[in-house]
Amino acid sequence: MAVAIVLLIIVIVSVLLSFFSPWQFTEIASNWGHIDNTVILTFWICGIVFALIGVFMVYTTWKFRYRKEARADYEPENPRLEWWLTVVTTIGVVAMLAPGLIVWNDFVNAPDDAQEVEVLSRQWQWAFRFPGEDGKFGTVHVDNITLDNPFGMNKSDPNGDDDVLITDNTVHLAVDQPYKIWLRSNDVLHDFWVPEFRAKMDSVPGMVTYFWFTPTRIQEKPYEVLCAELCGQNHFQMRGWVKVDTREDFDGWLAGQQTWAQMQAGVVPKSYSPLARRGREFAESTGCLVCHSLDGKAMIGPTWLDLWGTERTLADGSTVMVDEAYVVESIRDPNSQVVEGFAPAMLAYDESTVSDADIEALVALLKEEVSADESGATAPEAPAEAPTP
Amino acid sequence: MAQAAQAETEVTGLATIAKDWSSDVTTFKGVPWGKAMMWIFLLSDTFIFSIFLTAYMTVRTTTAEAWPNASEVFSLTMFGVPVPLLLIAIMTFDLITSSGTMALAVNYGYRRDKRRAVRFMYLTAFFGAVFVGMQAFEWTKLISEGVRPFENPWGAPQFGSCFFMITGFHGLHVSAGVAYLIIIARRISKGRYDNTNFEIVEITGLYWHFVDLVWVFIFAFFYLW
Amino acid sequence: MAQAEIPYQEAIPLHDPHTWITKYWFSQDHKVIAVQYGITAIAVGLVALVLSWIMRTQIGFPGLFDWIDPELYYQSVTMHGMIMVIYLLTAFLLGSFGNYLVPLMLGARDMVFPFVNMISYHVYLASVIILMLGYVPGMEGPTGAGWTLYPPQAILTGTPGADWGILTMLASLAVFIVAFTMGGLNYITTILQARTRGMTMMRMPLSIWGIGMATVLGLLAFPALFVSAIMMTLDNVLGTSFFMPAINSLEIGEDYAGGSPLLFQHLFWFFGHPEVYIVALPAFGVVSDLISVHARKNIFGYRLMVWAIVAIGGLSFIVWAHHMYVAGMHPYFGFFFATTTLIIAVPTAIKVYNWTLTLWRANIRFTVPMLFAIAFVITFVVGGLTGLFLGNVIVDVPLSDTYFVVAHFHMVMGVAPILVIFGGIYHWYPKITGRMLNDTIGLWHFWITFIGTYAIYFPMHFLAIPRRYYQYDIGESTILTPSMEILNVSITLTAYVVGIAQFLFIYNLIVSYRKGREAGDNPWEANSLEWCTPQTPPVHGNWGERLPTVHRWAYDYSVPGQERDFIPQDVPREAQA
Repeated sequence: MAVAIVLLIIVIVSVLLSFFSPWQFTEIASNWGHIDNTVILTFWICGIVFALIGVFMVYTTWKFRYRKEARADYEPENPRLEWWLTVVTTIGVVAMLAPGLIVWNDFVNAPDDAQEVEVLSRQWQWAFRFPGEDGKFGTVHVDNITLDNPFGMNKSDPNGDDDVLITDNTVHLAVDQPYKIWLRSNDVLHDFWVPEFRAKMDSVPGMVTYFWFTPTRIQEKPYEVLCAELCGQNHFQMRGWVKVDTREDFDGWLAGQQTWAQMQAGVVPKSYSPLARRGREFAESTGCLVCHSLDGKAMIGPTWLDLWGTERTLADGSTVMVDEAYVVESIRDPNSQVVEGFAPAMLAYDESTVSDADIEALVALLKEEVSADESGATAPEAPAEAPTP
Repeated sequence: MAQAAQAETEVTGLATIAKDWSSDVTTFKGVPWGKAMMWIFLLSDTFIFSIFLTAYMTVRTTTAEAWPNASEVFSLTMFGVPVPLLLIAIMTFDLITSSGTMALAVNYGYRRDKRRAVRFMYLTAFFGAVFVGMQAFEWTKLISEGVRPFENPWGAPQFGSCFFMITGFHGLHVSAGVAYLIIIARRISKGRYDNTNFEIVEITGLYWHFVDLVWVFIFAFFYLW
Repeated sequence: MAQAEIPYQEAIPLHDPHTWITKYWFSQDHKVIAVQYGITAIAVGLVALVLSWIMRTQIGFPGLFDWIDPELYYQSVTMHGMIMVIYLLTAFLLGSFGNYLVPLMLGARDMVFPFVNMISYHVYLASVIILMLGYVPGMEGPTGAGWTLYPPQAILTGTPGADWGILTMLASLAVFIVAFTMGGLNYITTILQARTRGMTMMRMPLSIWGIGMATVLGLLAFPALFVSAIMMTLDNVLGTSFFMPAINSLEIGEDYAGGSPLLFQHLFWFFGHPEVYIVALPAFGVVSDLISVHARKNIFGYRLMVWAIVAIGGLSFIVWAHHMYVAGMHPYFGFFFATTTLIIAVPTAIKVYNWTLTLWRANIRFTVPMLFAIAFVITFVVGGLTGLFLGNVIVDVPLSDTYFVVAHFHMVMGVAPILVIFGGIYHWYPKITGRMLNDTIGLWHFWITFIGTYAIYFPMHFLAIPRRYYQYDIGESTILTPSMEILNVSITLTAYVVGIAQFLFIYNLIVSYRKGREAGDNPWEANSLEWCTPQTPPVHGNWGERLPTVHRWAYDYSVPGQERDFIPQDVPREAQA
């Protein structure tokens, strides 16, 4: 008896939850309404089957519970019934599959008028590339990648000069414009997903993948980009933003972005003392700058600009002065002193990866990473003991 | 269902399969346990080698660099003339010969001619050992020419990776087979299987023929492609 | 006749063990090996349970415990998944149920190669130990690459445990596959070649069909994992590039080129999808038997059930890429794999219908094993139906890598087989030990586990947030709504309760061993051969002098005109009535 009642409650609650749960899909903002429709179709077919089986079980467990004097039927099989069930199931499956495949056919064939945009993913940031006025992407190669050239642009390819490169995790798109998104990864698998657009696809290092959609809804707050494929320890921090604009706003925004040619022209090597230069090179080659910026922007970790000698508030409310001891601690056991507002996300580095000499160089770098307006006033101390580079 | 065993009637052709599968006690009539188990193991092992070869074919198509030319890489210089695939031809010949001697051993086993069966098993093991020796020679030669699992002088690094991995795994199979042959041959001469039909020789032979067959595929895919 | 007569098993001498070591530790008795497998699997399952608490704590109460850092979180996620799928479910259903039931249900003395069988367990034990070496203090800890171990990230520094962790994991898997192969060869050979007189294939209980088919799948699918484990180890240790393309990770140019990350995914899922059925098919089989016995009614549509098992097993090899719809493979694969995937729904649905139809006009005894069986059916229905969402390629696009997937696979291949394992233990414990498990504790355990897991996983389907996130609320993110936070907290709290209830079960196992009610030979009044042994618990060799002879299928319950409502398989036809 208890079984039948509990099963009944479970069926009822499950059905109710399906209709009245506070957790629903986000409001759609792309052309993929048909994806939602296939989900809804599947939901109805499966929901009805669930309810029928559930109710049937409630009835049987209540009606045919054990009685001493009762005897079960002896019915090894019933070919007619079994055939009927098989046929009906097959029909239900086809009813879900056929529309699904039609929409999938749509999904894999981008329209001819789609604009091409490249999404470059790397641990743990998003970058975007528009092909520029010539409509052609410049060629790229992993070997070309440096901190100043995250896309690995091929400098000798003129097609790349007018490519517009966006590296701050935020991209704008024009409303009602179909986009064919080319996905590329520098390191591991990632997956570009904006829940409101429904569509998603993995980016795979060593190859280029794609999907397409048309943004259809302009919204004040930008749409959040999530990484939907585990990509390492900071997977969950790999967020970005897509702002859908009117065509005019979008064109204005795009015109204000730097092309690859402008970026190359604008790169002015900063002058460092020899030890700090070594620190900078070390930071680049070891990957510190993936999470720590040198321009004041907060990334996964705090920026290094104007960091030295300041007072920092930690997650537990205590404060600490950024000095050598703090830097050492932050490298050897980073999660013991996490600055307020950041997740304990950094890997610990031991002597074999970051030697004491390396830390010394990093400290020198930190001391020289100060904002431009003060830099004239506070000249770096002369590094007397600097090793020859 | 609960039908009683059907009355014995003569069946032929496909119907015999149905009859065997619907019978009791054993499905494969007259097949000893060890033999059935070896067949099933070999089926599983077939999947291992198929997957090795599939993986090899895949990386050969995904790698960006050119694949080294097999007939140049695997050539021996005889009298100042590079002869393509000479060593491999000898190795293949050697292994196929060993399959022949193994078949003889199985035959003599079933004739209960223990002495000859054991002798041919040792001969088979000898051919197997020679094969492994030649493989060691080939490895040494390639390593001295700069082939490593992660690089080689001629092109795609996957060449070395696949070569060492697949021939290495096959070589392990051959070595295990040699050990297996010797152990079984010793046991036979000590009289351990005197009460049986000597199907153990056939079981050992199944494994050995399988290893030879795999080599034919490796040969075709790696050296001839 | 050209064929040699194979002697019946009575002719083969049995070597009884004499020392404690050969009797309980290096025993060749399939029943002891089954118990060894079972205890080890449960022990390692408890580790996985604690790991799930760690990750649920982080998701339910992010930031509350700062010792749960992303590293620990991802390591726990990975180890929990791998332990559950391989070292608990596969090992328990095949290693424990398989070992115990195959010879007993077939009327065999033992497995055909008891020595290999004994080695199999100890190799499995070694694989568990190697897996746990990932936690050796002083090393970097186990891998945090997710149980799918996708390269390139699994062996790059941005992932926890990218050296020691992943190597112990891969080594452990390879060793496990060796253990499984030794056991599996035994199960198949025993089923094919060592049945007792009268035991035709179509008289075998469905448990044996499920276990046998799952073993076939395992023998053909594990090679893919074995080979990919070898290749990934080489990539990591020797720097080969099987799965590694040219990569620049964390501003460091890696020394790889030309490999294919998708190759690994294909190989992994060529193993991984049959693996789902390696777990599911034995559960299907066992639950069919439980339902039939306790409903006092023959299983409905036995022949169709058998063919459904065979069909599912065969189809399971051509559906693997439905795990990769959005993985970047050629999109046209989607058409093929969506079609094959939905085809597999038909035989699976037939099995569900037949379980429920078995209840129709039955005489259901709501014993603890039966409760678990019924709970399995409803859980499996939910998990199976949500599989239709994920199997249909376009519907999968918005759902993949969200909590919908987590809910789906936990329902269908996590909770459902676990419920069957519990049901099976409650059902066969009397045969294994000679004593019944305590019913009161059993009922508590059942209700908490069933309702708890349903409350955990059913609402999870509605959480449209990505899985494998350490934390959702970051910066200006709004993906996690307040109602979702409440749900996450409730799931976590329920998970604690359900987890604790499992200790009730373990307590029951231990206490009932000494204090449980005497069971007798056949407490459930069941038909299959394991209940016809001359002694309970069965002694070494199971049957005494002569093996039983089978005269009927295993489902002669409530046959009209009979005095009793069950007729064991070894009762001759003429003796009935």
